[in-house]
Amino acid sequence: MGSELVLEHIHKTFADGSLVLNDINLELPKGTKLSILGPSGSGKTTLLRLIAGLAAPDSGTFSFAGELMNDVPPYKRNFGMMFQDFALFPHLNVEDNIAFGLKMKGMDRARRDARVGAMLAMMGLSEFRKRHIDELSGGERQRVALARTLAPQPRLLMLDEPLSALDRSLRKHLLIELTQIISPLNITTIFVTHDHEEAFAAGDLVLIMNRGQIEQKGVPEELIRFPKNDWVRDFLK
Amino acid sequence: MDRKNAAVIKKRIFHPYAVVGLIPAIFFLLFYFYPLSGILVKSFSLEGGRNLSFLDQVFGSPRMMKVIWFTFWQAGISTLLTLVCAFPCAFVLSRYTFRGKRTIRILASIPFVLPAVVVAAAFQACFGDKPFFFGITIDQPLVLILLAHVFYNFSVMLRILTGFWSSLQGRISEAAMVLGASPAKVFLTVTLPLLKPAIFAASALVFIFCFSSFGIILILGGPSYSTIEAEIYRQAAHLFNLPLASFLSLIQITFTFLLMWGYTSFTRRTARFSPDTEQIHLKPPVQLGEKLLIAGVVLFIFCLCVVPLLALVAASLTHAGKMTLVFYQALFVNTTGSIFYIPPFYAIKNSLLFAVVSLLIALTTGICAALFIRFCDRKFSSRWSNFFDPIFMLPLSTSAVTLGFGIIITLDKPPLNLRTSIFLIPIAHALVGFPFVVRAILPALRAIPEQFSEAASMLGASPLAVFKAIDLPLMAKALVAGAIFAFTISLGEFGATIFTSRPETPTIPVAIYRFLSQPGAMNYGQAMAISTILMLVTAAGFVAIEHFRKESTEGF
Repeated sequence: MGSELVLEHIHKTFADGSLVLNDINLELPKGTKLSILGPSGSGKTTLLRLIAGLAAPDSGTFSFAGELMNDVPPYKRNFGMMFQDFALFPHLNVEDNIAFGLKMKGMDRARRDARVGAMLAMMGLSEFRKRHIDELSGGERQRVALARTLAPQPRLLMLDEPLSALDRSLRKHLLIELTQIISPLNITTIFVTHDHEEAFAAGDLVLIMNRGQIEQKGVPEELIRFPKNDWVRDFLK
Repeated sequence: MDRKNAAVIKKRIFHPYAVVGLIPAIFFLLFYFYPLSGILVKSFSLEGGRNLSFLDQVFGSPRMMKVIWFTFWQAGISTLLTLVCAFPCAFVLSRYTFRGKRTIRILASIPFVLPAVVVAAAFQACFGDKPFFFGITIDQPLVLILLAHVFYNFSVMLRILTGFWSSLQGRISEAAMVLGASPAKVFLTVTLPLLKPAIFAASALVFIFCFSSFGIILILGGPSYSTIEAEIYRQAAHLFNLPLASFLSLIQITFTFLLMWGYTSFTRRTARFSPDTEQIHLKPPVQLGEKLLIAGVVLFIFCLCVVPLLALVAASLTHAGKMTLVFYQALFVNTTGSIFYIPPFYAIKNSLLFAVVSLLIALTTGICAALFIRFCDRKFSSRWSNFFDPIFMLPLSTSAVTLGFGIIITLDKPPLNLRTSIFLIPIAHALVGFPFVVRAILPALRAIPEQFSEAASMLGASPLAVFKAIDLPLMAKALVAGAIFAFTISLGEFGATIFTSRPETPTIPVAIYRFLSQPGAMNYGQAMAISTILMLVTAAGFVAIEHFRKESTEGF
């Protein structure tokens, strides 16, 4: 099976001259669930933002489904991204937040309502339809954010530390819920985290990053049993 | 690699939010920098066989030297008097909580938002030939000027001092007291030294306002008291000595920029020394002395800030000792019957029309400027926004008279001939209102997390859709406040309007000036009536702005 997502020789430097991403090469087949794991400052979020189109690489190419994406603005990529603190729009209620991407696609009212209803049902949020964002708990917000991201049926789903804004006791439970929702969808997913447990639970494939470089890529078991170097071994301890 | 970098930079430069920055940039180049450069050229122009004799006309003329000296002198005395009046009031407002305090604060703030011509009219009503309330006629123009300046600037001084002083009442004072300092010692050794930068900043700002005061000097000062501002107008409009007026404008610009520079360096220090602002310890008055002090301050603020305005309303409703609406009715009648005479009603209509157009210009350019500055904040280092932000504030430190004069001497010929254009007035008004709009919008826009735009963008929203669906609704209140600013500033603008308005298109302030310049009870009464209308509209605008700005505290 050919690769859907292809990154070749990606370099990125910040304005202060520090190198954030150094020669990143990555290929992912369609439907892969990838976790990007690394300490803070390792470049994982920057890599995600480059894929999303929210930042541009200094050099290198990014293609998706055979199409070169470097010059495609984020709003034309049809990728979904769930942000660290969810970034739910505070002036819109639950329903309007979820419908936002559908409106941008120009979907008519009836189809939009049906899709929002389906998403709410899938997330177990049907009775929250008209609620204001301020009235939701952390877990409910997470589900609204996921519903909003999935509603426009994105080609690629990206989750940037989706559990870090939540209470520690809630995380485990919501991680299971999150994976249960995402797993049946045949959609390529990138899950960024600095937590080993989350990375191994969420991804079929885990990519470990350090100082802007890929240290190792593999299935969870392989990484634990055969760490490529001392740094990976220490990091996974 | 370099080519790739160039591509990234190109992408950023051509980003829609970067491109919108061109709109205020072009507006500024055409209507701010071009007119100001016109003043510079005119000052040193040797055309028509002229030489630099205007230098001699300024520095060799005892009268001109007196004008320059008087400009500084009256600004200095006005500032000192304002400080003396505001200081005890700031102490009371920052220390005590009492019933009606909010109302007193609003009442004390209203004079500052009133147009200068309305203030001048109010002081004529209060202390003129037919004085209301105090029963005192002040025939010394200088005293009237100083009083009007205190009235006008009291609220600025009070606001800055009260805000800063409130933050000193808590932990810091308590720490000094625990260490054994008496209240007097706390004041002298802790409060006053910490308050000093705020006192200097407020004084510098009031000095700038008094230094470039125009309407009050022109109306209350008469021919015997002229400042640089009033002299620019006299030389340009009455004596047609444009090179001299230009040179005076240049002097005015230089001084106001220097003063503004001094003010910003003071405010920077105020910010640095600003202690914990959460520690606000307000207490109710308990002892009789405290209650008397509060009563005294409330009475003082009422007499200073409210009585002149009540006198204005009373004067507009009284004719030959009787209550009447005759002056209001006369505003809608063409009393002279001459075809060259413009009934005051048209001035109201003109003002409203100009205010709407200037609101649209100021709001469009202001939104674009704010979006551009935020874009610089987000995509480049803060150096860029720190560079553009003060540039967009420049009209604040340029007197309206200089702006108006610059506009009429440069925009009257190709490449840009707007001499007969009806848009000249709203353009000048928009330029004056622009910094206020930016100051109202920018904090609200900056408060919107970048992730909202990014999330919207990931959901398929183009930059324009992000603006419409996210930025616009989230900054709606600030936008309304900015719009009211632009509208009320336009309604009351006098300095630039007196240059740019044509005889057949007067605005309300110009009509007030014309009425007050002419003898007769009817003219005087109509001036009072139309001033009252303008006062009510601007005061209502101010109250509305306060309402809409509750959520964003940055600004003036």
